[in-house]
Amino acid sequence: MADPLIQRLKQLIITTLNLEGMTPEELDENAPLIGSGLALDSIDALELVVKLEKEFGIKISSSEESRAALASITSLAEFIQNRADPSKLSA
Amino acid sequence: MPQADDTCRRNPGPNWGYRFLRTADIITPEFIYKPFRAIGTLIAMVFMPGERRHSREYLSFALGRRPSWRDVFRHFFAFEESLMTKLRVLNGRPHKTIYGPGADDFRHWMETGGDILLGTFHVGNSDMQGFQIGDENYAGIHKKTYIVRERVGNSHDTEKFAQKYGGRIAFIWVNDPQELIYALKDAASAGGTIALQCDRCEYSARTAEFDFLGAKRRFPITIYILAAIFKRPVILAFGTPQSPDVAVLHASPRFEVIPGETRAATLARGHQHFQEFLRRLEKNLRENPCLWFNFIPWNSPSPISPAPPPRGAAA
Repeated sequence: MADPLIQRLKQLIITTLNLEGMTPEELDENAPLIGSGLALDSIDALELVVKLEKEFGIKISSSEESRAALASITSLAEFIQNRADPSKLSA
Repeated sequence: MPQADDTCRRNPGPNWGYRFLRTADIITPEFIYKPFRAIGTLIAMVFMPGERRHSREYLSFALGRRPSWRDVFRHFFAFEESLMTKLRVLNGRPHKTIYGPGADDFRHWMETGGDILLGTFHVGNSDMQGFQIGDENYAGIHKKTYIVRERVGNSHDTEKFAQKYGGRIAFIWVNDPQELIYALKDAASAGGTIALQCDRCEYSARTAEFDFLGAKRRFPITIYILAAIFKRPVILAFGTPQSPDVAVLHASPRFEVIPGETRAATLARGHQHFQEFLRRLEKNLRENPCLWFNFIPWNSPSPISPAPPPRGAAA
């Protein structure tokens, strides 16, 4: 069964970045989010980071952290799991 | 945001240039200094073939004819005089900004404060807005102002500007696009004004076509995307010189992000807001073409706009 956090992140990425016509199943959770894969640019990254911070109560404050967190949906899920407010993880 | 191509790099001039101009301004009478500056500008123009070529390209559109050497010299000299005004204010000389027609929202914001995104242009005395906002008379009204700009080799004017206004003005450098987004995020969280240049595409991830100077040309639209992300209003502004010590501020109405509105609708309204302001800018530039300081590759007419590839196509 798919990890619920990964499913939630996929849906959040699609909604936040307005990826029209895409379904969560079409997103490869191991593909790089920035540059290749989804081909997100720096504005997308900013938008995603702002949304993630609000949604999970986390803080991504440098490009090093961001590179690690946004490497893929799987790594993003791990990052959030380790940093997020537990009450927001079950939302 | 993408890095600027090397061919787009600003030529900041020698490191000692600004210090020399400021010192000479203090010790030399203007009737001697102005012709001296004109000769200096002419020499600079002769030794800057790239900037001269870009100036000609822009002026040919703004003037609607092939520019003469005199036109190009006027363009270079208008830039030099704009720089001189800035250096003089840094030397303590008083400078006044008056509001042009339609700048009511800008005036209201100046008098009442609030967090906004301020879109500026490389036009005339636009840099005077920084001095106006940083003025200590507004210290209790305005929070910090973050100015987004390119760091170049000669940053004497920028350093002096930051010193003059202490903690009320800060710079966010576009040269490091990875860190830029975090600097913008932190600035938005802290509150205050974020000022971005809106007439150069080289560091902008998102651009769109607008009708300008007789063709479709690309301009950055990042400011409206940031407005949507941070829920901030946008005001666009530029300044033109009325006299050596007085600038006229031309500003747009305030663009507001409407809660619940779709991103596409917000950006469509943003496009219209920007286009309307570009019409005003064009009108000013038709009258004073030398006031837009285009000495790097200009946003030439767009041939055909290819549709961007759909995001997620590779996933």
